[in-house]
Amino acid sequence: MIEVKNVKKYYKVAKREKGLSASLKHLFSRKYDLKRAVDDISFSIKEGEIVGFIGPNGAGKSTTIKMLSGILYPDEGEVVIDGFIPYKQRKTFVKNIGVVFGQKSQLNWDLPLIESFELLKYIYKIPQQKYDKNLQKFTELLDMQGFLNQPVRQLSLGQRMRGDIVAALLHSPKIVFFDEPTMGLDVVAKEKIREFVKYMNEMENTTMIFTTHDMQDIEKVCTRLIIIDEGRKIYDGSVEQIKNQYAALKSIEILLENGKKEKYTFDVNKTPMNEVMERLFSKFDIRDISICEPEIDGIIRDIYEGGIRVS
Amino acid sequence: MGELRIALQSLKMSILAKLQYRADSFVATLAVFLREATGIIVIYLALMKFDCINEWNVDEMLFLFSLLFITYSIIVVLFADLRDFSCMIREGRFDRLMVRPRGLLFQLISNNADVIAACGHGMLGLVLFVVSAGRVGIHWDFLTVIYYITTVVGGVLIQGGMFIIFSSLSFYFVETNSIRDIFYWNMRRFAGYPISIYNKLIQVIMIYVVPFAFVNYFPAQYLLRKPDMEEYPEIYLYIAPVVGIVIYMAAYVFWRISVKNYKSTGN
Repeated sequence: MIEVKNVKKYYKVAKREKGLSASLKHLFSRKYDLKRAVDDISFSIKEGEIVGFIGPNGAGKSTTIKMLSGILYPDEGEVVIDGFIPYKQRKTFVKNIGVVFGQKSQLNWDLPLIESFELLKYIYKIPQQKYDKNLQKFTELLDMQGFLNQPVRQLSLGQRMRGDIVAALLHSPKIVFFDEPTMGLDVVAKEKIREFVKYMNEMENTTMIFTTHDMQDIEKVCTRLIIIDEGRKIYDGSVEQIKNQYAALKSIEILLENGKKEKYTFDVNKTPMNEVMERLFSKFDIRDISICEPEIDGIIRDIYEGGIRVS
Repeated sequence: MGELRIALQSLKMSILAKLQYRADSFVATLAVFLREATGIIVIYLALMKFDCINEWNVDEMLFLFSLLFITYSIIVVLFADLRDFSCMIREGRFDRLMVRPRGLLFQLISNNADVIAACGHGMLGLVLFVVSAGRVGIHWDFLTVIYYITTVVGGVLIQGGMFIIFSSLSFYFVETNSIRDIFYWNMRRFAGYPISIYNKLIQVIMIYVVPFAFVNYFPAQYLLRKPDMEEYPEIYLYIAPVVGIVIYMAAYVFWRISVKNYKSTGN
């Protein structure tokens, strides 16, 4: 469905030096630094996959999404999606995709949602029957009947985001890109959006790509995880795998008979669980014990900071 | 057909959005009207001191102005997004248009209409037209009406093409408003008067570089036939729509080349 081969994207960043004379010189001859926003990334995604795309700010996530959705030309490499080259066949290609920019709404601020939806109906040439069917289904699933006719400026962020998601899906795209769709939302709104995304994936077999900073999104929704940092892909695999492979770190919390709490962290590959338990039981009077699985947040943080090597 | 539906829905949305704030929109429209009208009144009072300039009297000059305002009121309906294009790029809103299956220029043109500016400038243009057209002795028949309409279309294409060219520059430079201020707004000020009063350089610019002369001066000459027309080839009386089409096409080609340079903004 999606084939990305050795894609690179550079930005020229003008070098600036301090001082007036340097600024004047800068007007006439400029020196540029080449910033590698995306530096040789390859992957392929099958139909129906939900892929989480994560990385620290400035890692190249948005740039990659923009190349996949036809907004930017890659400097090198090739992207083929569903038989199209997005940036060369923009107009025909984008009929099949939906894009949700979490921070840039496509809804008209002053008008009810329904007006923006009507415009999209004409833009995507959605047949009236399909439009009615989709709109009814989405508004039910996302619980939107109550605010369809309110001006967007009066909606909460969660309501607006649901509106934006519907706007991106009205034309039943085969592939949907979500660029930080849950940013700034409360737990309930996030959960609603995740359920909806999962449902759409199961029912329509829609391929979805998520960029997010919220690991819950990844754990609950995505079947696959791609991590990029400094323009390079540093991990590509399942969420489970990264947990198993790179973080055999478990922590144990014990509550002692005297009411004290103790916490230990250990690596099960080095010290097997029964050895740990034996030692603990021989040393302490234990009232209660709880074992914590490593949290994905922590793992990702370690990867970003270079604490865990991913090969 | 589909394009027309999009344009109509967009226009409806622009108007409905302004109707959300009725009082504010009304005051804003009035403000635009008064701001522009004040400029005209000041000029009018100053010109009353003279009988005429290069044999153009005050009413004939108001007729020149009316064409500027009438074409501009159509410009802001169609080209509002292109007028504010550098802002659109900076805020990353252009990305949204790129992921929709329609031509980019079509979307920009159909998308937003500056209803308030259109009403303000349009009202002033109509007032000036009504005041002046009766007094300057134009004999309105079928041919002159057709001529007048094609002139307005030509004027819209000329200025719209200019807006597209200025917008295309946004793909090369971050800030382009000052270029537009120099080439559009300053030149437009010259266009309020018959260009024959200026020195040769300004005339050349007004005819061949930023061709405002074809927006109002030459069309007015066709209708009024003033003696200063002798300085220019007679064909110029008839080619305003052609100039409009040529400039618009050139602008379109320049746009197509420039848009390839687009580098989105980060977020």
